[in-house]
Amino acid sequence: MSERIYVFKRFERFWHWSQAALILFLLLTGFEVHGSYRLFGFERAVDYHTVAAWTLVGLWVFAIFWHFTTGEWRQYIPTFQKVDAMLQYYLFGIFKNAPHPFRPTTLRKHNPLQRLAYLFIMVIVGPMIWVSGWFYIFYDYWPVWGWDRFLSLEWVAFFHTLAAFLMLAFVIVHVYLTTTGHTPLSHLKAMITGWEEVD
Amino acid sequence: MRKDLTSYALVFFGLIATAQAADPPGTPSAAVVMAGRTAASSTADHSKFKELDRDFKSGPEVTRACLQCHTEAARQVMRTKHWTWEFLNPGTGQRLGKKNVINNFCTAVPSNYEFCTACHVGYGWKDANFDFSSEQNVDCLVCHDTTGTYRKLPGFAGHPVYQDTEFPPKSGKIVKAVDLKKVAQHVGKSSRKTCGSCHFFGGGGDGVKHGDLDSSLTQPGRHLDVHMAKDGLNFSCGTCHLTSGHDVPGSRYAPTAMPKGRIIRGQKETGNPASCESCHGVEPHAMQRLNTHARKIACQTCHIPEYARGGIPTKTLWDWSTAGRLDKEGKPFKVKDSTGREAYDSKKGDFRWETHVIPEYIWFNGTVNYTLRETRLDPTQVVKINSFEGSPMDGRSKIWPIKVFRGKQPYDVGHNQLVVFHTWGKDDAALWTNFNWERAIEWGMREIGAQYSGKFAFVATEMSWPITHMVAPKEDALGCAQCHAPATGVGRLDQVPGVYIPGRSANRALDTFGWGLSALALLGVLVHGGLRILTARKREGDTA
Amino acid sequence: MLKAFVGFVAGVLATVVGMYFAMPHLMFNEMQSPFGFEETIARIQHNIVGNPELKAKGWALSGLRDPARAVAAEGGNVLPVKMVEVCSTRYSKPILKDDTVRYLSILMPCKVSVYKKNDGKVYIATMNAGLMGKFFGPTVGEIMSQVAEDQKLFVVMDPSKPAPPMILPTAAPAAGGGGAGAAGGC
Repeated sequence: MSERIYVFKRFERFWHWSQAALILFLLLTGFEVHGSYRLFGFERAVDYHTVAAWTLVGLWVFAIFWHFTTGEWRQYIPTFQKVDAMLQYYLFGIFKNAPHPFRPTTLRKHNPLQRLAYLFIMVIVGPMIWVSGWFYIFYDYWPVWGWDRFLSLEWVAFFHTLAAFLMLAFVIVHVYLTTTGHTPLSHLKAMITGWEEVD
Repeated sequence: MRKDLTSYALVFFGLIATAQAADPPGTPSAAVVMAGRTAASSTADHSKFKELDRDFKSGPEVTRACLQCHTEAARQVMRTKHWTWEFLNPGTGQRLGKKNVINNFCTAVPSNYEFCTACHVGYGWKDANFDFSSEQNVDCLVCHDTTGTYRKLPGFAGHPVYQDTEFPPKSGKIVKAVDLKKVAQHVGKSSRKTCGSCHFFGGGGDGVKHGDLDSSLTQPGRHLDVHMAKDGLNFSCGTCHLTSGHDVPGSRYAPTAMPKGRIIRGQKETGNPASCESCHGVEPHAMQRLNTHARKIACQTCHIPEYARGGIPTKTLWDWSTAGRLDKEGKPFKVKDSTGREAYDSKKGDFRWETHVIPEYIWFNGTVNYTLRETRLDPTQVVKINSFEGSPMDGRSKIWPIKVFRGKQPYDVGHNQLVVFHTWGKDDAALWTNFNWERAIEWGMREIGAQYSGKFAFVATEMSWPITHMVAPKEDALGCAQCHAPATGVGRLDQVPGVYIPGRSANRALDTFGWGLSALALLGVLVHGGLRILTARKREGDTA
Repeated sequence: MLKAFVGFVAGVLATVVGMYFAMPHLMFNEMQSPFGFEETIARIQHNIVGNPELKAKGWALSGLRDPARAVAAEGGNVLPVKMVEVCSTRYSKPILKDDTVRYLSILMPCKVSVYKKNDGKVYIATMNAGLMGKFFGPTVGEIMSQVAEDQKLFVVMDPSKPAPPMILPTAAPAAGGGGAGAAGGC
C-alpha cells in the first residue's frame, strides 16, 4: 500500500532543478577551462562559466533566504541516528527488497545519509568551490587588494578543481540514488511534482 | 605650416589629456595624433645653402660643411653608441658594443674593420687606430639622406663609393658613385629607410639578424606594422625612438623589460620612450582581464604573433664549422635552398632561414649578460652569447618574445674562450680569401692582442634578440586559445615556467585522483544498480 | 520487438553522430612535414615533375596558389599557406566529357596544401580522393582511386634527397594567387 505525501515545495523544486542545470553546465564548461577537452572554445567556455557561476550565486542568495525564512534549513542538521541502518539498507537490504529504514515526511524529507552527504557538500565542497571561485573571478584585482602576496592562482585553481571533482562524483552517486525510492522513479517524480509516493 | 602647428598643439594637449583625464582604456592616445606630423616640417631648405652648393670630393668634406651651421652635431653623435660602438652596461658592468662583443653572426669587428664599418656613422675606421675625436669623420649623411642614393658598402671603411664600383667584386654589378652635392642639399630627418640602411641589414643581409627588422618595413602595409604602415600612421623609427641631441633611446644591451607607463612631455623623469607603454600606458585594454595579463606579459608577446612577416626570411641558424669546404676544383661554392637563399657558402658555412617565425618566450627583466671574449666558457654546453635574465618571482620580469639565433663558431680549446677571427681583408690570412681557419684565427687574435693557445674547435652558441617590431593590428593579436587551449596541442607559453595557465597546466596528481574518483563512483553505482536488477529478477523468478 | 527497434534507432543515431565528427578527418588527410615551409612545397613539386611514373600518367604542375596573399593585401596576417596545384588530363578528361559528373570539375585541379600552424610546424593536406570518388559511381570512383594512389607519391618526404628549388609560377599571380601556369599542365 502506498500513499502520497507533499515533500518538496514549489520554490524548492525550482531551486533544485535550476541548480542542477547550472552545476552540470558549470562542470561542462569548467572542465573545458581546465583543459580536459575542447567544446565551446576556451574563451567562450570561460565566459559561459563565469555567467553561470554568477547566476548560481544569485540563486543561492534566494535559496539561503528561503531556507532561513521557512526554517527549512533544519532539514540539513546532521544526525547519526539510523546512519548504520541506512548503510545496511544500501549494502544489503536493497537487494532483498527489505523495507526502506527511512520514511520521508514533510518535516524530515532527507534520510540520515542524505543529510550527511548534503552537509558535506554544503560545508566542505560548497565553500571550497565558492571561495576558490571568487578568488578566481577576482584574479584581476588581487594586486589592487594586495591579495597577490598570499594567493597563487595555481592553488586557487587546485582547490577549485578538487571541489569540482568532488561535485562530479557526488552528482553521479546522487543521480543514481534517486532510483532507490519506492519505485525507481518515485524520488524523481517527487522532485518534479512535489509529491512522493511512499510505502 | 598651420596644419603642422595644429597637430603639434593636438599632440601637446593630447598628451596632457591622456596624462590627466585617466581616459578609458582603449582610446587612441597621443600616438595616433603624432602621426599627423609631415616630413616637410623643416624651416630650412638645404638646397638654398651656399655652403652646400659645391662639388664635394669626400664624405668628411660634407661633414665640415654641415658643422659650419650645426656646430654641436658631431660632438653629440660622438657621445653615442652609433659612433663609439661601445656601451658600458651600468647594471652588469660589462663593456659591450659592437667593438667588444663577439656574436654568432659575423662574430667580431676587430681585424675586419674596413668591412664591418660600412655601418659605422663615420668615415675611415679601417683599423684599431681610428681617430674617434675627429669631428669631420662623423657621417651625417647616412642618417639624414632623403634621396635614397647614399650607400655605404662593406670594404670601404665607412665611405660611400666616390667612383662607379663593381660590387660585390666580380659580380658584374656596378654601384654608381654617390652625388654628394645632391645628397647634401637634400638632407632631412632620418627615416625608416635611413635607419634601415644598417638596422635592416644587420648580420650581413636583409633581415638576417633581427627578424623583426628588415627592408619590408621601409614601406610596410598595415598588417605588417600597424604603427609604421605607409597608408596608416606612417611612423618613422624616430617616432618611438624619440631622439634628442642625436641620442637615440632604446637599447638591446640594456632593454626596458617592464616599462612604467606613459611618458609625458615636460615630465622630469626620463624613461625609455621606445616602449609600447610610453604611449599606450600600462592598462590599454578595455577588458580588465587583458590588462591583468599585461602585468606579466609584455605587449609584444601577444601583439607580435610572428616575426619576419614581411616576406623576407630571417636567418635562424649559422654553422661556421662547415665553412671552408671547397669543391672538386678546389674552389669555394654555394648551395641554395628551396627559395633560392644561401643554404651553404664556403665562406660562411651552413645557414637556415625562415619566414613567419613563431618566437620563443622567456621571463625577462631587462638584464642581459654577455659571454665576452674573456669569459671562460664550458664547451660541453651550448654557450649563451647573451643570456636574458628574468624569473616569474623577481617582480621585475615579464614574459617576452625573443628570437633565438643558433649556431656554431670557433673557440680557443686551450683557454676555453671565444676567438676573434679575420674574415675579410686584402691580405692572404683572411678566411674568405684562403679558407684557412688556423691563420684567420691567429691573425684575429693577434689583432686584439689576446692570447691564443693555437688550438681551436667549434662550440654551439645561442644568441637572443628581443622581438619588438612588426606589431600586428589588434585583430591579429594572439587569442586566448593560443596559450590556454591550443588546437595544435602546442601552446605558445608551454615552455615558460612559473606561471599557471588555466587549460594548460593542470595538476597531474589531482587529475588522476579526480577522474579516478569519478570513475569509481560511476563503477560503484553501475555495480550496485546491476546487482539490484539481478536480485529483483531473481525474486521475480522465485515468486513466479 | 520494441527493444530491437529502440536498439536499431540508437545504433543508427550513434553512427550518424560518429560520422558527423569523423567526416572532416575522413574527407581530408593531414600530415606533418619534416621540412620547412618552402622546402616542403619544393619537394612536393619535384616529386611530381621528377617522377617518370607520374609523368607517364600525365601529371603536371598547374600552379602555386597563395590564399594568404589576398588576406595580407587587405591588411590581415595569416600564417603561410600555399597550394601546389597539379593536374593530369588523363584523369580529368573522362570526367569533363561526362555530362552527369561534369560538376566534379569543381575538384580540379588536384591540390596539395602546405601550411604552417601555430605550433610552428609545417603540415601537408590532401583530399581523400579515394573515399570521395566512391560517392560518384564506378567511373569516377575508378579514376579517383587512381588519383589517390598517385597522390601518395606527391607527398613522399625523402630526407636523403637535397632540397630542390621551389618552382614559382611563371607569371606573377594577382592578389588572391592566380594559378598562372607553373610548368604547363591543365
